[in-house]
Amino acid sequence: MKVAIIAANGGMFDAYKVFNIATAAAATDGEVEIFFTFEGLNLIHKEGLKQLPMPEGKEHFAEGFANANVPSIEELVGMAQELGVKFIACQMTMDVMGLKKEDFTDGTEVGGAVTFLGYAKDADITLTF
Amino acid sequence: MENVTKTLDAKGLACPMPVVRTKKAIDELSAGDVLEVVVTDRGSIADIPMWAKNTGHEYLELVEEGDVMKHYVRKGGEHASDKEESQLKTITNEEYLDIADKGQVTLIDVREPDEFTEGHAPGAKNIPLGQVEQRADEIPAEGDVYIMCRSGGRAGMACDTLETLGRKNLIRVAPGMGDWNGPVES
Repeated sequence: MKVAIIAANGGMFDAYKVFNIATAAAATDGEVEIFFTFEGLNLIHKEGLKQLPMPEGKEHFAEGFANANVPSIEELVGMAQELGVKFIACQMTMDVMGLKKEDFTDGTEVGGAVTFLGYAKDADITLTF
Repeated sequence: MENVTKTLDAKGLACPMPVVRTKKAIDELSAGDVLEVVVTDRGSIADIPMWAKNTGHEYLELVEEGDVMKHYVRKGGEHASDKEESQLKTITNEEYLDIADKGQVTLIDVREPDEFTEGHAPGAKNIPLGQVEQRADEIPAEGDVYIMCRSGGRAGMACDTLETLGRKNLIRVAPGMGDWNGPVES
C-alpha cells in the first residue's frame, strides 16, 4: 500500500487528520509520503508544531483531547518518522515564507511539486488535507 | 486464550496508537506467536482485525471485559509462507467439499479446541497447531490428509511441521473455516 498525502493547512485538527492517517498507514506496512505546503508547513515546523491553533470557537475541544488521551502532535510526528513516513517540505512555499530546512523537524526533505507527483503517480491512496 | 506469547498493554491510548504499538510488538515476535493486545479504545474493535488482514497476520478473537477489550493476533510468516506457497499443496474450500462429497476423507482441524467446538467441518478431527508434533502418530502417514484452520496460516504451519517429520501426504484446505460455505458440525 502506497499512500501520498498533501498537507496544506496548519491547524491542530489538520495535524491530527494528517498524522493519524499517516502513522496508521505506516503501521499497516504502508509506504507513506507527506508533502507539506503553504500553512501545512506549520505541522513540521519545530516550534510551530508545539502550538498549533484550534479552529476559532472550537478551543473548548482542548479538554476533550486531554480526556481522550490523544497523543500530542510532537509524539505523532516522532512516531510517524520512526515508522518511516517521509516528510517533504515545499520549496516554493518555504521561499515565500522565508523558511529554511533547519526550521523543520529533523529528517524533513525539501522538494517541489514534481517531487510529490513523481511519488504519487502510482500511489494506491492520495489524500489532501 | 491459551498460548499467548506476549501481552501488550495499550489501555488508555487513543487512535492510532493501539495499532502503532501492536505493529511494534508483533515485529518482535516470531511467526506463529500469539500477541494479546489489551485496549480501551473502542475504535480498535474494527481497526485491529483490519490491520491484521492487511499485514498478513491472523486475527484470532476479541474478548470484551467491561471497558477493556483484548485482541488476539497470531503473527503470520511472511517469508516462510512465500516459500510454502510454492511447495505446499493447497486446495480451496470448494475443491475440498467436492472431494469430501465423493467418499471418505481424513480432515485435521488445527484450530484451538474452543474454535473447533463452535463449529467444524463434518468428520474433522481436532489437533491444535501446538500439539501437532506430539500427536503426529494420530495423523495417518498414508493416503491424503487434509489440513484446515480458520484462514490457512496455521494449516500451513502444521503442514510444515509434519513435513519435517517426513510426511508427504498433506493437502492444505484454504482459506478454511473463516470462509466456509459447507456443512458445519458442532
